[in-house]
Amino acid sequence: MTGKPAEARHGQSAMPVAARVHLAHAVVQHLADGAGVDLLHLKGPAVLPDLRPGRRGSTDADVLVRPSHVDRFTSTLEAHGWEQRTEAETGSAFAHATCWWHDDWGWLDVHLSWPGCRVTAEEAFDVLAAPGATTSVAHVACRVPDRVGQVLVLVLHAARSPDKSDVEHAWRQSDDGVRTAVRALSRRLRADVALAAGLGELDDHRDDSHYLLWRFHAEGGTRLDEWRARLAAAPDVRARVRVLGGSLRVNRDHLRMELGREPTRADVRRRQARRVRRALAEARARIGRR
Amino acid sequence: MTSYAVAGDVAWVSREDLDSGEQPAAYVTRLPDGPPMVLEGPACVVWLAVADGGTSEDVVVRTAELAGVATEVVRDDVTRLLAELEAAGLVRSDG
Repeated sequence: MTGKPAEARHGQSAMPVAARVHLAHAVVQHLADGAGVDLLHLKGPAVLPDLRPGRRGSTDADVLVRPSHVDRFTSTLEAHGWEQRTEAETGSAFAHATCWWHDDWGWLDVHLSWPGCRVTAEEAFDVLAAPGATTSVAHVACRVPDRVGQVLVLVLHAARSPDKSDVEHAWRQSDDGVRTAVRALSRRLRADVALAAGLGELDDHRDDSHYLLWRFHAEGGTRLDEWRARLAAAPDVRARVRVLGGSLRVNRDHLRMELGREPTRADVRRRQARRVRRALAEARARIGRR
Repeated sequence: MTSYAVAGDVAWVSREDLDSGEQPAAYVTRLPDGPPMVLEGPACVVWLAVADGGTSEDVVVRTAELAGVATEVVRDDVTRLLAELEAAGLVRSDG
């Protein structure tokens, strides 16, 4: 009768991904406590059980870090065997998260902000952390948004995902008091357009500069649609230039993960050629529809 | 008699929906650098018994009861496992 290391069987981890995610949350909270870093745990086992009934755990751990603590946090992660795999600028249209890997604990998404909130990331963190709620994950106390904050976070996440089950569980089953509080919180965080996108109420915000962006994420579209939406939401000229630069450049981080190795110049050139051909094909299709 | 408890710098989870096969499992690690450990079947029972707190004999009795065997069948193995878990820093004793 003995315990065995989690990687003992078949040369792979014997630990189910969901169990690994639980331990990852606990490990990361422990590291944050030691480094004096403020974190909020989001999604997966950090969510109140009744907000995600019947669902298996996430495949990665998600945390929101206080923006002013990011450098300290990432240094701590690196000192404990975590490797950063994507940059914030290339991780998503919202440039909001970095992706980390650890051989024992798997994937960790470190969110620098939560997409949909248009107040500063520091202010959003303060508001979401203010209730001081905690939940036990793997028997370690982890800081989380309170119920109202969790519902908002889940609906905002659903707003940019084809999977709307978060809305079903978190919003439709909440009582009127919670829903009213979530709407109030969304206004405080200037997240009302994103909330509307998650709830299927986006047409109430047709005149908002972020309308196209959220419609794209709610309904999908071509890459040109995405660019138009991101350009419309960019607050100034510099941001608009950055949007176009990012859109036209091959995402090396994603290419590295897809290939399973460092992309060569030839890989990038081939991928860039494919992107350009695809964009031209989309343009031709648009011209053909006129 | 020596009492055992889960050590303070340990994270662990054991739930039916996380079991990897037919057997119950507990996934256990020291914080923050691991390594992760899987305790399956009777070893999982021992872990849960330690988590509930009690003496080594309490752990032996609970393990035997859930395994459907006499206490003398598991006593030596349970005692050795407790010593291993303590040596690994996963449990602490007052002995």
